[in-house]
Amino acid sequence: MSGTESIVFDSPRREWRADTFAMWVFVGSEAMLFGAIFLVFLFAHIDFGPAFASASKHLSLPLGTFNTAVLITSSFTMALAHMFALHKRWRPAVWSLLATSSLGVCFLVVKGIEYGKEIDEGLAPLLGLPFRYAGPDPVHAEFFFSLYFTMTCLHALHLVGGILAIAGLLAFWPKARPGNRQRRVVAVGLYWHFVDIVWVFMFPVLYLINR
Amino acid sequence: MSELQKLVFGYVGLLALLALTVGSSFLDLGGFNVALNLTIAAAKTVLIALLFMHLTGTLPRLAVAAAGLWLVILFGLTVIGR
Repeated sequence: MSGTESIVFDSPRREWRADTFAMWVFVGSEAMLFGAIFLVFLFAHIDFGPAFASASKHLSLPLGTFNTAVLITSSFTMALAHMFALHKRWRPAVWSLLATSSLGVCFLVVKGIEYGKEIDEGLAPLLGLPFRYAGPDPVHAEFFFSLYFTMTCLHALHLVGGILAIAGLLAFWPKARPGNRQRRVVAVGLYWHFVDIVWVFMFPVLYLINR
Repeated sequence: MSELQKLVFGYVGLLALLALTVGSSFLDLGGFNVALNLTIAAAKTVLIALLFMHLTGTLPRLAVAAAGLWLVILFGLTVIGR
């Protein structure tokens, strides 16, 4: 009759609005989660500035910059998927979604290479790994790396969630009605862009402002 | 501007801001490095929110404003409490 997915909505338009509103509220609640961690980092940075500055020089700026570009590109392809889906150009929409998730995987692989490097250098104070830091104030440098791994792992976890959401979206794609395809692309897109925004703040905070 | 042009503009803008933020970290601007990097991050967020996330309509804006308000309370009260 009306083409809504749920019977509680009397028109697709209202369902669409409810969907986007709910996604924005969800994004807002996620902002609280990341906001709290950024707050901890901010005060640690104020208190232990010099130790954080020398510790952050051990992070790889080229890999961090490359990954930021990868994530920005993935946001662009996600926005393309949104545009194509709204115009019912399904084939380019699917290709854009595939590109987005592939770029997400690329980000995770590069992050993994970075983690490997840091573990090799003894800079990963997690899972009982040895922490060998030669610079000044190793106690607070360890705190920096704990925060670094907490923040980036939480972000990576969100990215994995986004990749799985795109995979689920594509798995149900053939049987989905056009309206549902569009609403799902918009919803997953909002989440994906939010994860990108989190990285947009994490990158300068971890890699740059301490230099 | 067509829809596609807007997205490309946003993408190029984001990459330019990335180059700017990385470049600025090699300059010693004293305390301004932090402020500049965070301002650039905020500018990138605005580009993503407006061009990629299509932040329009009362309800989405209300959700963002509410999240912003709580973040201000979170950061503000912590700063005051120190």
